[in-house]
Amino acid sequence: MADFTDDIFFGTIGEVGAKLRAKEFSAVELTRAFCDRLERLAPRYNALALSLREQALRKAREVDDDLKRGRVRGPLHGIPYGAKDLLAVKGQPTTWGAKPYAGQVFDEDARVIEKLQKAGAVLIGKLAMVELAGGGGYRFPAASLTGPGLNPWDRTRWTGGSSSGSGACAAAGLVTFALGSETSGSILTPSAFCGVTGLRPTYGLVSRRGAMALSWTLDKIGPICRSAEDCALVLQVISGRDFEDPGTAGKSFTYAPQFARKPADITIGYAPVDFEEWADPAARPDFQTAVGVVKALGVKIKEVELPDFPYNALTGTIISSEAASIFEELIRSGKVDELADHRQAAGLKAAMDIPATEYLKAMRIRTLVQDAFRRLFLDVDMLLSPSRLAPASKITEPLDRGSLGGRPQPKSRGLNGLIPAGNLAGLPALSLPCGFADQMPIAISLVGRPFYENQLIAIGRAFQSQTDWHRRRPPVGV
Amino acid sequence: MKVTRRKLARILAAAAAVPGVAAPQAPSAVSSGDEDLNTAREQLRNNAQQLAKVNLPMATEPAFRFKA
Repeated sequence: MADFTDDIFFGTIGEVGAKLRAKEFSAVELTRAFCDRLERLAPRYNALALSLREQALRKAREVDDDLKRGRVRGPLHGIPYGAKDLLAVKGQPTTWGAKPYAGQVFDEDARVIEKLQKAGAVLIGKLAMVELAGGGGYRFPAASLTGPGLNPWDRTRWTGGSSSGSGACAAAGLVTFALGSETSGSILTPSAFCGVTGLRPTYGLVSRRGAMALSWTLDKIGPICRSAEDCALVLQVISGRDFEDPGTAGKSFTYAPQFARKPADITIGYAPVDFEEWADPAARPDFQTAVGVVKALGVKIKEVELPDFPYNALTGTIISSEAASIFEELIRSGKVDELADHRQAAGLKAAMDIPATEYLKAMRIRTLVQDAFRRLFLDVDMLLSPSRLAPASKITEPLDRGSLGGRPQPKSRGLNGLIPAGNLAGLPALSLPCGFADQMPIAISLVGRPFYENQLIAIGRAFQSQTDWHRRRPPVGV
Repeated sequence: MKVTRRKLARILAAAAAVPGVAAPQAPSAVSSGDEDLNTAREQLRNNAQQLAKVNLPMATEPAFRFKA
């Protein structure tokens, strides 16, 4: 019987896969160890929606049969992972984190689940999320069927959302990687708050078939992992055209580090004011150090500012309008009042009255946003900013306090607003752990032009080769 | 596949029971439903006011396309 140490539970895809192929343990032993750990520890963080032990062990036995025959499907073969509970798994409850859908069961897998199945990855659990991915606007972290996501670094603090369980489980070594989703911030925020690496792909790179829709034109599914390279390995499997998702872009992603441009050929745009004034004072020292590490990679640096648009008003209008249409039956039936967060229920109800002209205006301004980013990316290859300005808040604090915590607003906007802006323009983003503030993780983000994931990951890997923030481990079990 | 009442009860019980949690439960929203609805409507009005300030050329089309 193998001895499963923390090195395995916190290992990267490459590290765990190498040990599996070297027969240090079988896929069944590995799966059993991760299932035991997930079932035992995930409830401490309100991170588990459903354990899938039985089907995971069946899959693990298939993996062991393959490995006996010398058949290795790829780097994800035999790797245990978790999926945000907005992704359908055939025959299993898919709750969307919301009481009205607690008993919902679909009769087919989401496309990304199918693809990971074919790649030999082992799905061990459905992971908790903010109800309906937070589309109506929620006021408290407790906006979930499973309660507030509790951060493995400090359980009095929030994981961030809406991919709360995915962030917590990846951080605590309960899965080797997780799938999350982002409409506006839901991969980047839990990745930053939990100290793990998250990738929001370009809109349309990954099929949304079988995923709960919150906003057709903003939803993206992406990996939350222990390294930038792991994000690339997962994206390679889950990306690609899908005729059953009209939003897919007809492109796939092939991880090609050998073709990435050298750092000296890359220009990164950033705004010093983000790190010196917008950022929480406790976060500034490690943010400054991280900017120094990026500069030391040899990239060219240019000061930039975000194009001037009302990004929050745009995402608010678009998400509200699309979500109200998607959840119209829930709202009109009154079952929306079963949601845990009253503000979210109210937000969905109010959204029913948004005029079509208002939605169309937002979508027309969105065209101007895309044009402005195209012009910006003529001068720089990618943008660098804090993923979030401060570390995770206490779970008792309301989420509508604002990011400045009472501090005066800086005169220059810098790149503040990059999360809604980047989502509006469909841009990819990579969140990289870069230090601590008040003993809680903080992160930087790299945002690129559409389909620029290989280059983002190359710079991310280079950053992670010079730092070890992504290898830090929270005090799990405390 | 049907979800049995036993399985559904396990899911809801897992949601309710949070063993070993040191932190207090976060409070639910203390305001009334009407107050929340008014707040939500006010937010949407604010959004509309902000969008109204954007200089939007008449020829600008929405960021989606219909294809026959």
